[in-house]
Amino acid sequence: MKKAVIINLSPRKVGTSMMLANHCREFLLSRDYLVKITHLYPNLKDLSPLLAAINEAESIIMIGPCYINTYPADTVYLLEELEKNQNNLHGQCLYAVIQGGMPYVHTHESGLKMLELFAGENGLRYKGGFVIGMGAMLNGQPLSKLLNGKKAEKMFGHFLENVAKQENSPAVLYHEAQLKMPGLVYCIMAKIMNRKIEKERREKQGDQKKSPYENPGLDLRHNGKDRTIDCKR
Amino acid sequence: MRREENMITILSDYTRQEAGERLEQKLRERKIETELIAIADLYVDPCYSCGGCTNKTYGQCIHRDDVDIILPKLMRTDVLVMVTPVKWGSYSFKMKRIFDKCAVIGDRHYYCKNGELVKGKIGRVHTFVAIGVKAQWDDEEKRAFKNLVEENIKIMNIRGRAYLADDSNLSDCLETVAEGLSK
Ligand SMILES: Cc1cc2nc3c(=O)[nH]c(=O)nc-3n(C[C@H](O)[C@H](O)[C@H](O)COP(=O)(O)O)c2cc1C
Repeated sequence: MKKAVIINLSPRKVGTSMMLANHCREFLLSRDYLVKITHLYPNLKDLSPLLAAINEAESIIMIGPCYINTYPADTVYLLEELEKNQNNLHGQCLYAVIQGGMPYVHTHESGLKMLELFAGENGLRYKGGFVIGMGAMLNGQPLSKLLNGKKAEKMFGHFLENVAKQENSPAVLYHEAQLKMPGLVYCIMAKIMNRKIEKERREKQGDQKKSPYENPGLDLRHNGKDRTIDCKR
Repeated sequence: MRREENMITILSDYTRQEAGERLEQKLRERKIETELIAIADLYVDPCYSCGGCTNKTYGQCIHRDDVDIILPKLMRTDVLVMVTPVKWGSYSFKMKRIFDKCAVIGDRHYYCKNGELVKGKIGRVHTFVAIGVKAQWDDEEKRAFKNLVEENIKIMNIRGRAYLADDSNLSDCLETVAEGLSK
């Protein structure tokens, strides 16, 4: 039996990355894989269980959200730790999945490139990736709920097929899956979302329009914790 | 207030060549109001995407760490310069932790630009400059870092550009950045 490890690079355990991770897991199980999903964030203090799972696998599938046009900071930390613990890397196949709020491929694609460059430097076999937009709207719901759900599911299915066969997965698959709409539709969407954002802001913040960070008396004691800040730094 | 319109903040992660410090000096020599935040000694936890900043503590991170020092400074900044070592075409781990948390002070509204949705500024930052520092680059990684920064600029709907510095061109690079920012 072939072994695969899926790494959830999102801090959330019930979000869109995890929905995709579960989807991927089901698929690989049906192809006689032994599959393990591991979460990055609960393991940040001690990555050894995660490194061990990577060591044991033939295929690694990293799935995460897009934060400011690439994976979250802690993905870089994971890669740095992997680089330091090279003994866990022995030419495994690496696949990358990134998803974010914006519907376009180009805005998320840097994440895939980072994993590709990492693989190249560390003797892993980068086999391709997949980009999914509108992930924030999905918020953990299945791909079928997307406006272009059918297409996205089909293309992601082709990607998973490639993962199962340990074959290269071309970028054209996720380009095909991108939602394509006229600019005007996006402008209308922006108006609707902005109205929602403003309503939410008024509810939470009242008439106070300033950022709390502009307020010199910033209350730093939420969470029950108080931290004195050494201003010399 | 006019005087503050080009307040520059340099967020700088540790580089052997002290790139951030050198840039600060160059800008000060040109009498440009500049603040350097050396992030090596600061500690910032991850964004856990807990939703606190859009709910319980609207507009503010619910978690207490050194972004409490950084974000108030960024709110007074017009030009943000990041000086970062580059790993696999991306920002350093420490820099990215801070960048991720900048989302808290990012304009949450959507705008349309060239037929696509974009978001808004971080605070009032109208120009973003990223200086990637690496001992040696290969062309693929250069392209990757440049693309990433260009996407950042696009999504924030502001001006800016990426600079790629290595041991051989760092001085010239910093000179070019300082020259560009003093215009
Ligand atoms: C700090 C932060 C930064 C984000 N930056 C972006 C971004 O640059 N582009 C984008 O499309 N979505 C961005 N998002 C939205 C997430 O990518 C999106 O909500 C994603 O679906 C979350 O995945 P998860 O449910 O697996 O955590 C950001 C979210 C957070 C919390």
